[in-house]
Amino acid sequence: MAAANTESRPRLRIRLPGRAGTRQRLEEGGNPEGGFRPHLGSLAFLAPGAIWLLAITVYPLVATARNSFYDGTATNFVGLRNYSDIFSTASILVTFRNNVIWVLVFPFLVTFVGLVYGVLAERIRWSTAFKTIIFMPIVFSATSSALVWRTIFDLDPHIGIVNATVQTASDLVSPPGLYPIDSSAGQTVNGLASSGVGPGPGGTLQSTSMVSAGDVLTLGLIGINPATLKLAGAQTAFVPSPSPGSVTGLVWRDFSATSPDARGQVLPDEVGFPGLRLTLTRSDGGSAGTAITDSRGNFHFDGVGSGKFLVQIDARNFRSGFTGIFWLGTQSLTPTSSLNQTARALLSVPLVDVSMIIAYLWIWAGFAMVVIGAGLATLDREVLEAAKMDGAGEWQTFRRMTMPMLAPVLIVVLVTMLINVLKIFDIILNMAPGSSQGDANTLALAMYNYGFTGLGNWGLASALAVILFILVVPAIVINLRRIRG
Amino acid sequence: MKRIGILAAAAAVIVGVGACGGTSTTNSPSPQAQLGGSVTLWAEWTGAEQRSMEAALQPFEQSTGVTVNYTSKGSSISAALGSAIQGGAPPDVALLPDPGTVQTLAKQGSIKDLTNIVGSLASNYGAAWNQLVTTNGKLYGVWFKGANKNTIWYNPAEFAAAGITSTPTTWEQVIQDAGTLKASGIAPFSLCTDIGWPVADFWQNIYLKTAGATSYNSLATHATKWTDPTVTTAFTTFGQLVGQASYLYGGVRGSLDNGYPVCADKVFPKPGATPQAAMVFEGDFVANEIISNSANYTPGNTGTGGATCTTDPSKTPCYNFFSFPAPAANSANSGAVQGAGDVAIMVKDTPQAQALIKYLAGPQGASIWAHLGGFASPNNKVASSAYPDPVAQAIAKALVNATGFVFSLDDLQGSWEKNMWQDLLNFIKDTSAPNIASIQATMEQEATAGLGH
Repeated sequence: MAAANTESRPRLRIRLPGRAGTRQRLEEGGNPEGGFRPHLGSLAFLAPGAIWLLAITVYPLVATARNSFYDGTATNFVGLRNYSDIFSTASILVTFRNNVIWVLVFPFLVTFVGLVYGVLAERIRWSTAFKTIIFMPIVFSATSSALVWRTIFDLDPHIGIVNATVQTASDLVSPPGLYPIDSSAGQTVNGLASSGVGPGPGGTLQSTSMVSAGDVLTLGLIGINPATLKLAGAQTAFVPSPSPGSVTGLVWRDFSATSPDARGQVLPDEVGFPGLRLTLTRSDGGSAGTAITDSRGNFHFDGVGSGKFLVQIDARNFRSGFTGIFWLGTQSLTPTSSLNQTARALLSVPLVDVSMIIAYLWIWAGFAMVVIGAGLATLDREVLEAAKMDGAGEWQTFRRMTMPMLAPVLIVVLVTMLINVLKIFDIILNMAPGSSQGDANTLALAMYNYGFTGLGNWGLASALAVILFILVVPAIVINLRRIRG
Repeated sequence: MKRIGILAAAAAVIVGVGACGGTSTTNSPSPQAQLGGSVTLWAEWTGAEQRSMEAALQPFEQSTGVTVNYTSKGSSISAALGSAIQGGAPPDVALLPDPGTVQTLAKQGSIKDLTNIVGSLASNYGAAWNQLVTTNGKLYGVWFKGANKNTIWYNPAEFAAAGITSTPTTWEQVIQDAGTLKASGIAPFSLCTDIGWPVADFWQNIYLKTAGATSYNSLATHATKWTDPTVTTAFTTFGQLVGQASYLYGGVRGSLDNGYPVCADKVFPKPGATPQAAMVFEGDFVANEIISNSANYTPGNTGTGGATCTTDPSKTPCYNFFSFPAPAANSANSGAVQGAGDVAIMVKDTPQAQALIKYLAGPQGASIWAHLGGFASPNNKVASSAYPDPVAQAIAKALVNATGFVFSLDDLQGSWEKNMWQDLLNFIKDTSAPNIASIQATMEQEATAGLGH
């Protein structure tokens, strides 16, 4: 085999066009005057392509490199200032960090998932349907995919399906109270206390004064929307009359639109708090009974006996429901809050990056699956059969036979995706909410923002483009080598 | 002498042919009947705004016979014009949304001096407006559309439900009313954050109202440093509101998820939803968003047919605004207005372009758009009656009568504008004093790098 191969090479070389070939033909007795004709001819054929290449590839490349040493309007030479600005500005360093996160995580993840899908697609019955579904996202524009995923990850559980799912599960485990406060929005139970109540133990509210049998308590709450109370069936507040042997009272909305500053008085336009769960506690903290307020906010603990008591409004009345995870927020997955700004810019991993990687995986997994699937289909079945005959298990065959034979295809996917994520742009622009844009920024997006939005800084944008180009070069070289080899 | 004679003769021939004649100073000040020809105009407006602009230009086209070829360049108009001037196919006239570019282009000599063309029409604008587009004593632009960013919008029904009968006139009252609204069970503010520009608009209003217009302009040109105590004061004043997470709809986290116009919809929802917050700060363009949410929304404090305003947007909801107030100690600044606007500049000196500039400097076109709505003119010749409702009138009145007018500061920051937005978002995340100091240091560094001084 090897000997035959080396012998065949010289013959091939003779047929290749080129200087050697021309000379050979000239030596063979061609017309010496027409010697340049093949050159001119080939030049004429080359010209359109060459001019095109010069105009749209070489010229912009050179102009960008030149502009990177000039100021924002590309008129004054500033030397390396754009480059020093890039490496000293925290908000630009963030883009390098994000590019690193994308490059380290995404190509491997998508290749792995593509491999799993590829192998799976070979083995399941509805393989074509499966492949179509997985491949479909690549047909959609990246912008629309990004917008879809932005909705999927929306903070509001009424909009985002991910948070809606978590909410459903969370509400089953710990249902929200009748008057839930949104602790993630800075609301506190103590903030609800208005008159006659104050903070109690364990997230409860309790009466500020001790009571004994025959007393009437009025507990005023604020900060709850009248619409919520109306929904709970609230009616006009009413102070109950004292009852011997019982502790009675009222919990009401201590806010009147007619006199918003009057607190502690039960006014005719104020309503009671229905459905509140209350506990009567002894001075030692033990429970002496429970009660639920009626539609007018009234409660009564009967037959309480002697002694002094406090009325407690249970914490569960105000238990926060699940209000959503800010999937597209910039909260860091690495503990970097104590670091300085530059270190934070370089070392944080914002949650929005993870969410976007998931979305991007959804887009590109189909591509990886198809390429890897094609690679799998061309594998030599006989070798795999032989391995099985020799007693290799499924896993062993996959590890020792399929993977090595598939390696070139996997590398193609890996390198293609590497280049793809180095210049990642549209998904960030469209998926990250405005306030996360700065922390989710990448080189390509920063280049666009500096160059083409607002007044623009062509120098800085060009310098970013040059850096991006330099970073992509190794990947291009690898790809070219592979194509040649 | 002889050459001048020849030129005059040549000019006379051209006038005789009827192709032109607008340059002659002996002509009557009104545009010539049937000037003819065409003029190219670039502006940022698309969609409904483009249609309003075209309607505003109609009398000009009819009276002069000049065809206006309007092209919308969207928000990238400044960049587009810059490259067109370099690349060689710029329009005759452009309406630019930022005076920073006008100043730059004027200094480059890329646009024409309008001082003599506009003449006495310049008095249609307050001094602050003209000053923004004057370089070396020469006027380079005429303002056509103004924007008032001095507006805090509120849902009158929510104010009534909280027993607030008069709108706040000091910043302290804003904070106090926010407390009352919270007690009534509604989030006082829906804070717009988006990519940071609404926060910048908010912060800039606070800076204007605490430090005054002179300091504001000084900070805008970076003559005042970002580490200045006046900047710290603005941050701490802003912190009195945003530092109280429970005063913001959704808290800090919810605010960061609050893009524009969703943030306005939280206060003025579409039918079927209920208001989630009582106030939202943003410029006069919020009115467009409110009306587009439902035609039920009535400007002012009474609903359709004099009915009581309802929180339910499917019944008789209302909208109104109050001017961003200054802290009591800085009441001298309460008349200062932050805004923006579109300014007409002339790139090519043609008679048609001159006629268009004069038309835009007059009240006629502006009155038409004012009548169509979603428009305010800084031109003091536009009658109050041109505006369709009391809210629009109040917005325009504040623009015309501003004791001081400043342009949106972030738009004057060039390439570090986006960094400024990001810094302000970082402030929303952490309003503590050490973070304010750190943000100020960062801003100072970015401003120095971005502006080159």
